[in-house]
Amino acid sequence: MDLLARFATDLVGNLSLGMSVALSLKNVGLCFLGCLIGTLVGVLPGVGPIATITMLLPITFGLDPIGALIMLAGIYYGAQYGGSTTAILVNIPGEATSVVTTLDGHQMAKQGRAGVALGIAAIGSFFAGCVATLIIAALAAPLTAMALLFGPADYFSLMVLGLMFAVVLARGSVPKAIAVILVGILLSTVGTDLESGEERLTFGWTEISDGLDVAVIAMGMFGFAEILRNLESTQTRDVIHAAIGNLLPNRRDMRQSAAPIVRGTLIGSVLGLLPGNGAVLGPFASYTVEKKVAADPSRFGRGAIEGVAGPESANNAGAQTAFIPLLTLGIPPNAVMALMVGAMTIHGIVPGPQIMTKQPQLFWGMIASMWIGNLMLLIINLPLIGLWVRLLKVPYRLMFPSIVLLCCIGIYSVNNSPIEVVMTAGFGLFGYALVKFGFEPAPMLLGFVLGRLMEEKLRQALVISRGTFMTFIDRPLSGVLLALALALVVVAILPSIRQSREVVFKEAD
Amino acid sequence: MTSQSARNGLVRSPFDLAGGLFLLAIAALGFAGGFNLPFGTLSGIGSGLLPRVVATLVAAFGFLLILQALVFEGDQLEKWHLRGPVFVLGAVLIFAVFIRGSTLTLGGFGGLPLLASVKVPPLGLIVAGPLAVIFSSFADKDTRLLEVVVFGVVMTLICGLLFKELLNLPIPFDPAGLIPGPVYHAYVGVKSGIGQFFASIKNLIVR
Repeated sequence: MDLLARFATDLVGNLSLGMSVALSLKNVGLCFLGCLIGTLVGVLPGVGPIATITMLLPITFGLDPIGALIMLAGIYYGAQYGGSTTAILVNIPGEATSVVTTLDGHQMAKQGRAGVALGIAAIGSFFAGCVATLIIAALAAPLTAMALLFGPADYFSLMVLGLMFAVVLARGSVPKAIAVILVGILLSTVGTDLESGEERLTFGWTEISDGLDVAVIAMGMFGFAEILRNLESTQTRDVIHAAIGNLLPNRRDMRQSAAPIVRGTLIGSVLGLLPGNGAVLGPFASYTVEKKVAADPSRFGRGAIEGVAGPESANNAGAQTAFIPLLTLGIPPNAVMALMVGAMTIHGIVPGPQIMTKQPQLFWGMIASMWIGNLMLLIINLPLIGLWVRLLKVPYRLMFPSIVLLCCIGIYSVNNSPIEVVMTAGFGLFGYALVKFGFEPAPMLLGFVLGRLMEEKLRQALVISRGTFMTFIDRPLSGVLLALALALVVVAILPSIRQSREVVFKEAD
Repeated sequence: MTSQSARNGLVRSPFDLAGGLFLLAIAALGFAGGFNLPFGTLSGIGSGLLPRVVATLVAAFGFLLILQALVFEGDQLEKWHLRGPVFVLGAVLIFAVFIRGSTLTLGGFGGLPLLASVKVPPLGLIVAGPLAVIFSSFADKDTRLLEVVVFGVVMTLICGLLFKELLNLPIPFDPAGLIPGPVYHAYVGVKSGIGQFFASIKNLIVR
């Protein structure tokens, strides 16, 4: 009881410290600007959070680290919410997690209830965001304490586990998913070796002796390659012509959505914690659950409001709890968080357990700003929906050249380097080829970012153990993590699971 | 992408075969780029260990996919389109060349003789922007030239105002002074107007 009381006072104290940082006029302004610009770019069809964050990364360069992180987080939520808007209004999901929203959201829009769909998405996301913020605040301290028990071997095994999760959650064939992660790790070794100073895989090309920039890879594979795929898709874009209708859901809508929002939030929060992009499962799981518990499942796919409320809440909750592994352990659980590592490094912040102890203002300020960001989204988006609709009516033949221009300006500005623009084009082609050969680009980006960390931890662990691999099995924590990873591989290969995996992703197609 | 019965002789899944060959090519690059690096010992891993081990694994998965393609029925290769990649990625290259100027060379590296060299002056966003928009628009066959030219110029001006003036990115806008006088004055007018507007907001916030 005493412990609980201390925990509660700590939590309140920490959150109020965070609020005092996040509520400064400057930081609120940055949060607002981030949410607004993030939504504006995220609304563009085919531009997901990864491309948006990369594109807008340079605008945070002039800021202090706290302001920059708050703005980046705002951009991230904005991009997420913008993706949902596009999913509902145009039936094009900006990213995997808003795929489910297209099912019922777009149907609602066709029935003249786009406003309600967007409204309930915003309200559900807001609720989910509030809960997720509390979860992060509550789990941060204990998890950080736990992180200090992790030795290099344990870190290495945890990352192996995370990558195995990414394999299980990837679509398509298991060997291809593992292979694409390995390709990511291989790319991470490009550049000067930090220990020996030798150049690796650079082929004498000095421009890449510092290693490949995560922004370059992300922009090429998620910005340009996505445009190429959209240009080829035969799927017609139908911006809804029906009226947007009321924005605020009526009492009946609210009653129908309340339980799905709560369930979705719980599902999304838990899945978001998993390493290896568990967040992507949240909306799918929530949709399946709602369909199961519904009195009349046949309404789903025809504009059931529960099919928007639940998955959207799960989406936002997962998007936020995904910060936990990054902030406490320093391990990014998915491609977006991988990009956040790059962004934080640029601002001189090393993600990991030491942030909370050494820079409490930054840590708690960012967490508090998450809540403010969610409130902003609610405030910004409801009145601006008309603007997004008009933006989406711009024909794609004009839209995509603008996206190309924005991407070019963004990637040029990261280091003011034309060479990096050229390399981005190269990765655009690489990403296009990957997709054509049936490989998913997101696990590759995760492998790329984790690759460097893994090599570092592997080396440290082997130095400590004087060169015996047994250390990975002997250490209890590492051993358990590796056993879990092995179990995951087995699970992924078992035919019955493969089938249900295909069913889960089938609704996406 | 449809499953088809074996009409390709030995290969039952061209899709997986292509994926496997792709992996082999990447693994070969990995080996080539790291072949002379020291392997080290287990207690002191050299810089060459990880690249070579990972490249070996990539190659192994490449062979696995190829084997799979010969044994199991699978999908046909997806159709590749040239139009999109050529114009979209071409536009990106054009942007890279014109934004700060560069020297384009034909040959001159890898032991090849220098065949030709063109020097592109730094022309900034005002040239690179519209060129990138116009060139990339050809990726869509429904493009309309006049429309996209006007649109490209307008978009570039908006981006200039947004990124250079408002967000202070150090992107070269018009280093060669190409914008004609009256247009430039109008642009500066708008720019300073917006600048003042935001400065006053900033003052409000700072105070």
